[in-house]
Amino acid sequence: MEKPEKLIVDGRRLDGRAPDELRPLKIKAGVLERADGSAYVELGNNKVFAAVYGPREMHPRHDQQPDAAVLRCRYSMAPFSVEDRKKPGPDRRSMEISKVTKEALEPVLFLELYPRSVIDVFIEVLQADAGTRTAGINAAAVALADAGVPMRDLVSSVAVGKVEDTIVLDLIKEEDQFGTTDMPVAIIPRKKAITLLQMDGHFTKEEFKQALDLAFRGCEKIYEVQRQALKEKYAIKESG
Amino acid sequence: MPEVSTGDFVVPGDLLATAEEFVPGNGAYEEDGKIYAANAGVVLVDARTKHISVFSRGAGVPTLKRGDIIIGKIEEVRDQNATVVIGALRGREDRALPPPNVGLIHISQTDAGYVKDLSREFRVGDIVRAKVINANREPVLLSTVGDDLGVIVAFCSRCRSPLVRQGKKLVCESCGNVESRKMANDYRKGVL
Repeated sequence: MEKPEKLIVDGRRLDGRAPDELRPLKIKAGVLERADGSAYVELGNNKVFAAVYGPREMHPRHDQQPDAAVLRCRYSMAPFSVEDRKKPGPDRRSMEISKVTKEALEPVLFLELYPRSVIDVFIEVLQADAGTRTAGINAAAVALADAGVPMRDLVSSVAVGKVEDTIVLDLIKEEDQFGTTDMPVAIIPRKKAITLLQMDGHFTKEEFKQALDLAFRGCEKIYEVQRQALKEKYAIKESG
Repeated sequence: MPEVSTGDFVVPGDLLATAEEFVPGNGAYEEDGKIYAANAGVVLVDARTKHISVFSRGAGVPTLKRGDIIIGKIEEVRDQNATVVIGALRGREDRALPPPNVGLIHISQTDAGYVKDLSREFRVGDIVRAKVINANREPVLLSTVGDDLGVIVAFCSRCRSPLVRQGKKLVCESCGNVESRKMANDYRKGVL
């Protein structure tokens, strides 16, 4: 990928967005026939599926917890999801994302209701353009609600960053690669609690506050789309 | 007054009412004196019993309750009890049943009459249809009393091939072994 001469021209980004603007977002719930719950998310050029199975009996049994369910997440990228073919299978990066995704979703689940069970969440990235972990979390939250797993709240997630000294929302690949900072954030919308916060690059204290505030506002917009997706799924069932 | 009314669509985390006024029913939970939705679905406000619940139309995680019909596999047969691994719940075959998914059939709940020897009614590996009589215990208590309940597929205890029904007996076509079971009336009809 060539480095563009300027990432921001006259307050507009490469794709014409304002710094505090999200990419076009589309969420659909209940897209996979055989999964207990599923969701599809399109965030700009990101295309992500999430499938939820369970709660069901956990195998291997030595990983069962006698007093609670275990949340098992697997984030995986399709070989064709990026420009250069990605070798299929888990690697260092996807293992890390699986782990942080699990930790981002765990606080909203009533795991203690299902002892010795497992809730499996599979996130498959079909097309990637920066911010796939946040898209994956958004999809997984909708898929869990679609599966009817009891939840305290949904989880909404977005990335913020710094590009040429401007704080921007929802970075694209060029901004992620040639910008200064990339910070994915996941929140529980009702409580305004943070469940995921990672940072690549650096912010000053002031910039961090500003960026976090921007992330919260971005998450609220995403939350509205997530709600709408669940409502549409319910309306379809009603007529069918 | 509750924050929502019957028929409203809610998603997890939506405020339903305050805990002073209502009790959380299905698909709702209480936190810090407030009641929130735990499922996506439609609200039902019961002003009489003061329950507020969320219903997500047929979906959701399957749970066992008294009177449910299950299909399971006999795992162990002892003098007094047979242990069953519950494979599916009738009406919710689409989804795996989370634990507790182990059941127990006591000898007194096997058939309407007197049962002398439980190993003449069930054998390890048999597929049974049973009714839940107590879902609050673990293992769940099951019963096969009734014409439509009992073994629906049995296997020869000598050679493991499926047994064929001949009147009240079961005959093995490959080794000629004759056995007996507490059969359902549609034994090996392929009906769950």
